[in-house]
Amino acid sequence: MSNQQRGVFVFKAIALGVLLMFGSGCATTGSDPEKDPVEPMNRGFFNVNENLDKYLMKPVAQGYQKITPKPVRSSVTNFFDNLFYPNVILNDFLQAKFKQGFRDFARLFVNTTIGIGGLFDPATPAGLLRHQEDLGQTFATWGMGQGPYLVIPLLGPSTARDVTDLAPRTFLSPLFYIESAAIYGVGALNVINERANLLEATEIRDEAALDSYTFTREAFLQRRKDLIYDGNPPAEEFEDFFEEGTDADLVE
Amino acid sequence: MKIHWFHFPLFLMCWGLQAEAATQPLSPDTVVERLHGTLIRVMENADKLGYSGRFQLLKPVVDDSFDFLEISRIVLGRYWRRLDNNQQTEFVNIFRELSTATYASRFDSYSGESFRQVAKEPFKGERLMLRTELVKQNGETVPFLYVLQPQQEKWLIINVVADGVSDLSLKKAEYGSVMKREGFPHLLAKLREKIEEYENPNKR
Repeated sequence: MSNQQRGVFVFKAIALGVLLMFGSGCATTGSDPEKDPVEPMNRGFFNVNENLDKYLMKPVAQGYQKITPKPVRSSVTNFFDNLFYPNVILNDFLQAKFKQGFRDFARLFVNTTIGIGGLFDPATPAGLLRHQEDLGQTFATWGMGQGPYLVIPLLGPSTARDVTDLAPRTFLSPLFYIESAAIYGVGALNVINERANLLEATEIRDEAALDSYTFTREAFLQRRKDLIYDGNPPAEEFEDFFEEGTDADLVE
Repeated sequence: MKIHWFHFPLFLMCWGLQAEAATQPLSPDTVVERLHGTLIRVMENADKLGYSGRFQLLKPVVDDSFDFLEISRIVLGRYWRRLDNNQQTEFVNIFRELSTATYASRFDSYSGESFRQVAKEPFKGERLMLRTELVKQNGETVPFLYVLQPQQEKWLIINVVADGVSDLSLKKAEYGSVMKREGFPHLLAKLREKIEEYENPNKR
């Protein structure tokens, strides 16, 4: 795929996200039809993704984990984190977190130079901690609703609001501007390494879930909420389920 | 009635009884600390105890720390009222067992972890939220939030939010989905299956 083709693909994905977001009247939380209005389609894609994972991604990731020493895997994770870090900095500023933005800029600088192109992470022990910011979170802080929950083929759980992040994440990564065929190998390594990092989490899910689809959706949406509040959601965010738990609401 | 000196011991006795009734039952902090202490003990002796040893050690503490009736009502939401008393009791019992089984299965090794309390905040109604952290040996922390509410003479946990994911919301969505799509007998069967899998991981 050329840069132009990739650009068109990303734009289409974002257009779809924006369309779904406004089409749904920016529904946020509440009962399932509101939160997950396209559940039948989502379940379809979820099953496709799960099968792809079961027969391809998971075994490959397990093999990779087995043959690659932990320090090497850490360096691969560090490298890609660093590569996509400009997107974090952009969203720091978009969310008016200026101090964090400058610290994240320093983090990128330290890890790219002293950390040898991002392979190592000397910034963290130096007190420049890693942050997770993206355009979905930025839109949330601007007051935009999350829109419907979406399962994207190959990519997995998302929401209409979160799909928008594909654009800056892609365009701000140096990977996008490399024309060499080697890019596919590098991209594949990123995907396999990310899947390997999630092996423990999916193991716990498979152990605990009665209904994988719902479990994944809830865990994903809650993790996103947690990230929007930078790991410190106000108490009210955990109170919505009490409403239905009281006597008055128990009768349908 | 005239008060005589021989009434005095009676006063003392009553006063003593009253004082005893007024001594605070387990505070929210104590409930969570006791649970954490048991989890650490279980992790430290994980191999020696084995799954069933861990289960036995955890069971009385878990039973006494969570408000399983309230949790069951919230988790089943609008479906709770549709169940008769026997079904409700059956659900609460299985859910209680599953909770202990999950802890016994998940906390199966120890590598220097510890818990610490970070903050205590008022919550809706009389409820309280305790913010705590699991501190790993390398200094990494995982936030564990507990929501407690007073129940007769003690405080009981009704929700745990681990690393941003609320157990109550997760189960409510999941159990609701199974109830809607498959019905109560299937939900019970699935919960029993989970308990068996925790007891015997090879069954998975």
